[in-house]
Amino acid sequence: MSLFWSLWIMFLVVLNLGITFFLFLWAPRAKIPVREDGTSGHVWAHGVLREGVRRLPMWWIIMSAAMFVIGIAYLVLFPGFGRYKGVLNWTSHGELAANTAANDAKLDDMMKRFSLYPIEQLAGDPNAQQLGKRLFQDNCAACHGRAATGNILLGAPDLTDKDWLYGGNGKDIYTSIHDGRSGVMPPWASLGEDNVKNLAQYVLGLSGRPHDEKAAAAAKPLFVTCAACHGPEGKGNPALGAPDLTDQVWLHGGTQADIEHSIRDGRQGHMPAWSPRLTDDQIRVLASYVYHVSHTDHADSR
Amino acid sequence: MAYRHFEAIEKNAALLGVLTAIMVSIGGLAEITPLFMRAHEVSAPAGVKPYDPLRLAGRDIYVREGCYLCHSQMIRALRAETQRYGHYSIAEESVYDRPFQWGSKRTGPDLARVGGKYSDQWHVLHMMNPRQVVPQSNMPGYPWLAKTTLDASDIQARMRGLRKLGDPYSDADIAGAADAVKDKTELDALVAYLQGLGIRNEPTAAVPSHPATDGGAP
Repeated sequence: MSLFWSLWIMFLVVLNLGITFFLFLWAPRAKIPVREDGTSGHVWAHGVLREGVRRLPMWWIIMSAAMFVIGIAYLVLFPGFGRYKGVLNWTSHGELAANTAANDAKLDDMMKRFSLYPIEQLAGDPNAQQLGKRLFQDNCAACHGRAATGNILLGAPDLTDKDWLYGGNGKDIYTSIHDGRSGVMPPWASLGEDNVKNLAQYVLGLSGRPHDEKAAAAAKPLFVTCAACHGPEGKGNPALGAPDLTDQVWLHGGTQADIEHSIRDGRQGHMPAWSPRLTDDQIRVLASYVYHVSHTDHADSR
Repeated sequence: MAYRHFEAIEKNAALLGVLTAIMVSIGGLAEITPLFMRAHEVSAPAGVKPYDPLRLAGRDIYVREGCYLCHSQMIRALRAETQRYGHYSIAEESVYDRPFQWGSKRTGPDLARVGGKYSDQWHVLHMMNPRQVVPQSNMPGYPWLAKTTLDASDIQARMRGLRKLGDPYSDADIAGAADAVKDKTELDALVAYLQGLGIRNEPTAAVPSHPATDGGAP
């Protein structure tokens, strides 16, 4: 702050305090002409309201004096009087740093303890789960839902089931959170609408659901293309995040129309990388929370 | 000063008004004027660039739709905020925001560093109907944004206007704006704007560790 603006602020502070202090000293002593009926003669509403004259009550004088004491003490202790930094050297950024350091220190022992265990074991630690739940609600619930059951519209997987696109051990989950994941299913509209419909029937058959056998048989040779990612038996591939087509879990919906849409137009799923936003310790705790919810029987809680 | 002077003030509404205005303005003169006069000294840090055409269009839609009525773009220097949203905001980050989007009205979360937190597709679903991704959300949907395409000539005029105010757009930037927003919808622009918020803006010096929450630690 330049000297000019510092002096400017000091001048205004002194002026403001000076005017109010003058009023404070003067007001109790002011000589107000009083009429015989004890009023000042000021009337409102055609004389219905009249202004009485009384001494200022002591509580008012004491509270006003206290305001001056508090105001001046504030200016001595905290920044506010131009360039003067205050006796306490307080800054908002300093307070933030102190708060953050105090909190880190409080968590330090726990975080050190967490780092000793593998993620799978952390999933059984109530403190880690409490921490993980908060992190999940703040960061993950927007896509995976508060109950971690996923979102078909988005292709955000249900994390409470046993089905994993990219592997479900602690390390895999950690990697998914830390680096993010991008799943791409290319569109196959170029195969022609008939082939798309036939393939959908074949895929329905893979998971043992009612389907048109004739159409499925016609599409069988075409599935070679799909097998590149989903495997010859349609069991998926965790290295690519290609879903298992033989189970009853459907990332983008499992109706005939959904499957046709997936084949015709392709699908894209994007999980952002969380390494820029969360610390490694936090990601481990989060991974343990996700591991925990996938190994909990949710039948009751729902 | 005698009582009759105060009686004069009390009985003359205009005089009372003028003197009240003087007393009330002292606070503003001390707190606002110095920062106001020094505003031109605030310059953009290395990572902060003027909005590219698509994001600029998105910024204008953000303002037009009144997003600022529920969302601030100002992370305060408080632990509860830096842990949830990231590094506190600094004035330099907003040099290209006209008007700036600071504030303390948070019906929804702060958006200063929301860029990259969710996928583009999430934002699209969220804008069409927020309940599709966040069942508890009370934010209104903005489905009409997907139906309106952007007007290229309009964006160029806006960029020329901002250049007059000092934003360093080159002639090539402005000429290229037409292609950048060609066939894009307002929704595309808004998502591009949101995904750019806080990206590469963070002050590099003295970045404190900022975990997302304290996790309700014991």
